Amino acid sequence: MSILSRLLPPGRRHALPLILFMAVGFAAPLFAVIAYSFVPARTFDLWADWSFDNYLEVFNSTSYIAFGWSLGLAAATVLILALVCYPVAFGLARVFGKWATLITLLFTLPLFVSENVRLYGWIMVFIKNGVLLGTLKSLFGWEPDSIVFTPELTLLGMVYVYLPFMLFPMTLGVSMVPQQTRDAAYDLGASRWQVFREVDLPLSMPGIVIGFLLTFVLAVGAIAEAKVLGGQRIIPIANDIEVAFTYAQNWPLGSALAVLLMLLVGFLVLIVLRRFDLDTILGRR
Amino acid sequence: MNSRSDRMIRALIWAWASAIILFMYLPAIGLLLASSTSSRYFIFPIQRWGFDWWQKTFVSLEIHQLFKTSFAIAGSVTVIAVVIALFGALAFARYDWKGRGIFQKIVLLPIFFPQTVLGLALLLWFNALGLQMSWQTAVFAHLVWIIPVCTLVISIQVYSFDPALEEAAFDLGASRFQVFREVTLPVLFPGIFSGALFAFLLSWGNFPLSLYTTGADTTLPEYLYSKMIAGYTPGVPVLGTASTLGAGILLLCGYLLIVYLRRRRSADGA
Amino acid sequence: MTGIMTGRSPILQLRNLTKTFGSFAAVNSIDLDIAEGEFFTIVGPSGSGKTTLLRMLTGMEFASSGDILLRGERINDLPANKRPTCMVFQSLALFPHRTVGQNIEFSMKIKGIDPARRKARALELMAQLRLPENYYAKNVTKCSGGERQRVALARALAYEPDILFFDEPLSAIDYKLRKTLEKELKDIHRETGKTFIYITHSLEEAMVMSDRIGVMRAGRLVQVGTPQEIYTAPKTKFVSEFIGDVNIIAVSVNGSGVTAPTLGVGLKSPPAPAGFAAGHLVVRPESLRFLEHAGEADNALSGRVYNEYVLGSRIQYQVRVGEQVFIVEKLRQQAFAGKLDDNVLIGWDAKDSILVTD
Repeated sequence: MSILSRLLPPGRRHALPLILFMAVGFAAPLFAVIAYSFVPARTFDLWADWSFDNYLEVFNSTSYIAFGWSLGLAAATVLILALVCYPVAFGLARVFGKWATLITLLFTLPLFVSENVRLYGWIMVFIKNGVLLGTLKSLFGWEPDSIVFTPELTLLGMVYVYLPFMLFPMTLGVSMVPQQTRDAAYDLGASRWQVFREVDLPLSMPGIVIGFLLTFVLAVGAIAEAKVLGGQRIIPIANDIEVAFTYAQNWPLGSALAVLLMLLVGFLVLIVLRRFDLDTILGRR
Repeated sequence: MNSRSDRMIRALIWAWASAIILFMYLPAIGLLLASSTSSRYFIFPIQRWGFDWWQKTFVSLEIHQLFKTSFAIAGSVTVIAVVIALFGALAFARYDWKGRGIFQKIVLLPIFFPQTVLGLALLLWFNALGLQMSWQTAVFAHLVWIIPVCTLVISIQVYSFDPALEEAAFDLGASRFQVFREVTLPVLFPGIFSGALFAFLLSWGNFPLSLYTTGADTTLPEYLYSKMIAGYTPGVPVLGTASTLGAGILLLCGYLLIVYLRRRRSADGA
Repeated sequence: MTGIMTGRSPILQLRNLTKTFGSFAAVNSIDLDIAEGEFFTIVGPSGSGKTTLLRMLTGMEFASSGDILLRGERINDLPANKRPTCMVFQSLALFPHRTVGQNIEFSMKIKGIDPARRKARALELMAQLRLPENYYAKNVTKCSGGERQRVALARALAYEPDILFFDEPLSAIDYKLRKTLEKELKDIHRETGKTFIYITHSLEEAMVMSDRIGVMRAGRLVQVGTPQEIYTAPKTKFVSEFIGDVNIIAVSVNGSGVTAPTLGVGLKSPPAPAGFAAGHLVVRPESLRFLEHAGEADNALSGRVYNEYVLGSRIQYQVRVGEQVFIVEKLRQQAFAGKLDDNVLIGWDAKDSILVTD
């Protein structure tokens, strides 16, 4: 056995390229953001005097409104998606049989089309004289107000965009419940509702929680929905960050905002993920 | 559990899923309709059907350049991502090693990260390194997000891989490289192929990472976004519909290929 | 049968072979000689180190210390693909993307043998293992359990190994087919004359096939011998229990006999070896019999029939003597005439019992 293979057993050897890439492509940029958040506002020099001024500015600004909108919309998205997706996930795991693969593909396909383009499609549906209102007008002569550029449509857009991110982990979770365990519960006299509460829900929890986490985290960082469908009526936090980086040319301030968002996201991800064994969820025998 | 109410629940689940699928495709339908009118503005019901805008869009030289850039990025991303992700997936699901648990979580982190923030962080990082933004930096940016996705997709195949296959080939006299070429690669092929498909399509459709990291180069989604906010032009629904159809066809072909391979594998003769 | 190996030179010698993982010794200083052409089986419960031992012998794991000698040459550091030995895996590890023919030919393809010769040899092996010729182009995943076993064996034989290793290949197969395949494997061992080293957790399986058996416990070889020796003269309680249903009575030596503290009686036993102070007395269920009078056997105990279990041609009875449970086994023709809960007298002769250490 050579020294190399002793230092680098197969697992570590295979992981190495990915780890190196993530160090340069993921960890380093995040550290750069953290570093920038401490330099004076509107400078681009990393080696200027470091201070907490940017954070103070954030806390004294109205950014909390943007944070509030982002968190609120994300929570609403998760809640709606939980209800919308569970029956579909259950169907994919238990009811659809040989159709399950095709249906999964149908839910995967939209992921491959740019988010903006798909959201723009909703405009075509909801705009005045669009697919929906045009049909109502020509068929019933009814002309309700369009909901384009409202917070409600923003929420609808988020539900639409993040649906697969809730559905797929949830399906993995639901498929982890052995049918025999459910049958045993029925056999022991449980009602349909009791089986759901006592067997289905706890046993599929890992997948459900990961679905919650994924959708929540992605939805907190959402920006396109508010831009395309919300008509800038609401400003989510990602928008504030983008503005600071682009129009305002204030990278340090943008970095401070980004760090706060990262802390929130990272904290949530770490507490949830450390509780799960990914092998059981992804199907290691 | 009586079978009549059971049947009713199954029917309800089917109905609900169908409704959700319709919901998922409503915007695509909207785009398709908007692209099929000859008029400059979209008014429904459509007065004059026609595909004039399809023709106008696809003869445009600008569009050709966009396709080229998008293709260059997605192609490079696919090749690099599949190679790194294949080894990553083996580390993720095949080998038991100290640190595997942490490794698995590190792989997931970029997926659990808002892409806009990731794009801006990369912009800042490239800038600190003194790099000029171009389609190459965009390739790098896409990889940060796509390698983890690709690793997960391939890992699912690796989980069902029996490590004894590799040992058996090794025991029968094959070198490490022969084991990889004759056993590991062909057995994992369906997973690798799905990973490649995911990598290509996700890169092709990506907007938030491209936005900050392409510099002077422009990808298709970026162009579409700029047109979208500049005011209505029927080119947007045309290209949107084309993207959806293109992704659909590619996905369907890939799916059929995997079904074909699986069937050939389980059939007699080869 | 017991004289089968006399005069043959050892093909494989293990000298103080040890494998440690951290401070844990999975295989602990094993010394063993295996003769050319021998069918040797290593038996042990899961976790006894038998798989680790086998993996060292095949070259998939490397020894921490000690030596492995193949025909006198040290092969410790030779990796699996360089060793002239081959293994049949527990999962069989047939290549699912290949046909039966391609699986068998794999090693020949690696060696660069031309396709025509490869095919001829593959068909020869298939005929030898009673696989129909038209299976050559059949996909392995379409084969039945027994057919897959034969393909795996043919693939290993095609490598022309000096030693064939088996890692419990029959463990996942149902009882009836397993019994058939055990005998088939022993026939193939005769036909090929190769050295077979087999590991299993089933001593019953080992008994059917092996020339010699080595019993492993906690990384050590606790007893090596012919099936006959292992069956009739186990040295420890562990080995005797491993054979199947046995009655074990804790005893201590007392003059010419032994006393059983749990039963509160003295018992007649075979003479205790020198230095043997306390241990166990092992009596097989078939050596126990129902008595009319206490004088009919060297040892007699009175108990109560608690239950009976019909095992085809034989019947077992659970007899409770105080707290201790005894298993008595009778042929169907000699079945116990009484009913459950009857008080009975059971007994055995000293020559039918074995003294073993802990």
